[in-house]
Amino acid sequence: MLKIENLAVNVDGRNILRTIRLEIRDGEVHALLGPNASGKSTLAYAIMGFPGYEISKGRIYFNGKEISGLPIEERVKLGLALAFQHPPMIKGVRLSSLLEKTSKRTLDVKRFPINPGLLERDINVGFSGGERKLSEIMQIINLDPSFVIFDELDAGVDVENLERLMSIIKEEMLDNGVSILLITHRGNILRYLRPDVAHVMLDGEIVCSSENWTRIWKTIVRYGYEKCKECKLPSSRP
Amino acid sequence: MRSVRSANYLQVDHEIRRIFTEKGIIIRPSREAYEDFRWTRDYFEQKPKEGYFIWFKKQIDYPLITCIAISSPKVSQEPMNLVVIEENVEAEINSVCYAVNKDLHGIHAGRSKIVLKENSRLKMKHFHKWGKGDTVRSSLEFSVGKGAKLSHTYKCVEVPSKLETETDTFLESHSSVNLETVVLAKCGDVYIQDSTFLNGKGSSGISRVRLIGDEESRIVAHSKMIANDVGIGHLDCMGLLLAGNSSINAIPELINRNRNASLTHEAFVGKISEENLNYLRSRGLTEAEAIDLIVTGFLGEEAPFILEGRVVPSKLHM
Repeated sequence: MLKIENLAVNVDGRNILRTIRLEIRDGEVHALLGPNASGKSTLAYAIMGFPGYEISKGRIYFNGKEISGLPIEERVKLGLALAFQHPPMIKGVRLSSLLEKTSKRTLDVKRFPINPGLLERDINVGFSGGERKLSEIMQIINLDPSFVIFDELDAGVDVENLERLMSIIKEEMLDNGVSILLITHRGNILRYLRPDVAHVMLDGEIVCSSENWTRIWKTIVRYGYEKCKECKLPSSRP
Repeated sequence: MRSVRSANYLQVDHEIRRIFTEKGIIIRPSREAYEDFRWTRDYFEQKPKEGYFIWFKKQIDYPLITCIAISSPKVSQEPMNLVVIEENVEAEINSVCYAVNKDLHGIHAGRSKIVLKENSRLKMKHFHKWGKGDTVRSSLEFSVGKGAKLSHTYKCVEVPSKLETETDTFLESHSSVNLETVVLAKCGDVYIQDSTFLNGKGSSGISRVRLIGDEESRIVAHSKMIANDVGIGHLDCMGLLLAGNSSINAIPELINRNRNASLTHEAFVGKISEENLNYLRSRGLTEAEAIDLIVTGFLGEEAPFILEGRVVPSKLHM
């Protein structure tokens, strides 16, 4: 589904990502772990094709097609989607207007534990942390994607709301074979989504990848991210 | 939804095509009102040549619609309008001024006075749509009596080559005004001035200006809030520049002559944020579609209505 070959990315002339290799197959859930400013969100924006994230080396393929030079909206048409960590406020544009304009499938709004009035409010203006995340997930499901990046989905969400979000993601995405790249540095969400592969990113490089995400998580909790540089876990991945 | 074919006052060029009164409302040509109701001379600066007089003596539950159109080439209109709302009466007006075609090179110089008597209410929406060769000057004066409340929206998304609007609002004690001015300018010079005078104790005023500068446009927006008594006033001016060859000059001015009054303002003029554009593009919209959605939201929505047999969509009201 998604294949990244030797990707290097510059932002404002600074090299942020160095030689990233990553392959996510159909229906897989991958977790990308790493400390703040390690380059996780930069990778997400580069995959989506955001302006300012300049690919200096390497290629990104989606379903066998190279997408490295495509604009954001073309990548979205192919089936990629990103749920933002900090979605911006857009004054004057109601959530319902955006959902209507970008709909690729019928969205059962009643499934979402939201105040119906939220749909008629300006996007993210005055939304609570949980409401922002719910809004993100509604928008993403509305796009009917085949591959989704969740950037810090669990940040600012209480346990109860996180369980609800996970339940929706499971039914609407995982059960339908959607592939997921989950960017996080918290353990709870890993237990909910049980990734097929976990990766650790440090200083713009993926230093460890393994199917044994529990081992990775335990190592991080016990010794910190730096330990991942020297602890080589076995992986069947190329 | 009302049709302008059934407008309460319809003037095309200099001809009054229709006057349709409602129970409890008097609607007359201004020049007749000037003759028949001598008290109106307190409000008309001179004998009007054209325009309407509307006197709300009782409340009606739907908006009155007035429409003044330019339909022939090189017409020069000078409508003088007077609206009076009696004490404790609630009123609503949708007012439309426009050029039927884009190449008529007309002049529209409108002057309106609106008088809200004690504890009355008025919700007024004023829509303009002009051709590129037209010249438009619009002057509006609101006199808001004790305890009265005024909500006024002016919207023009198709500007003439030159547009000047001037709005003066005088507030008595415990009265309030909420002014909203929305202009999308493309290939035109726009000068907007609004002045709100807090003349009575406990009066309050808000003036919001939303400006969009598209290609080859120059906009100057000068908003004044003047406190002559204890009141609260706020100016809010937001401008979006869509083109490199456009400019917006926003001038908020606060004049406080009473130390217990409180006046504030906020202003922003800039381009659409890249972050917002990228966010909307990540939902599958092209850059042009994302800009359109933001601009449409910026202009604000109104309920649609029918003009000359056509539904006018919410965003492009005249």
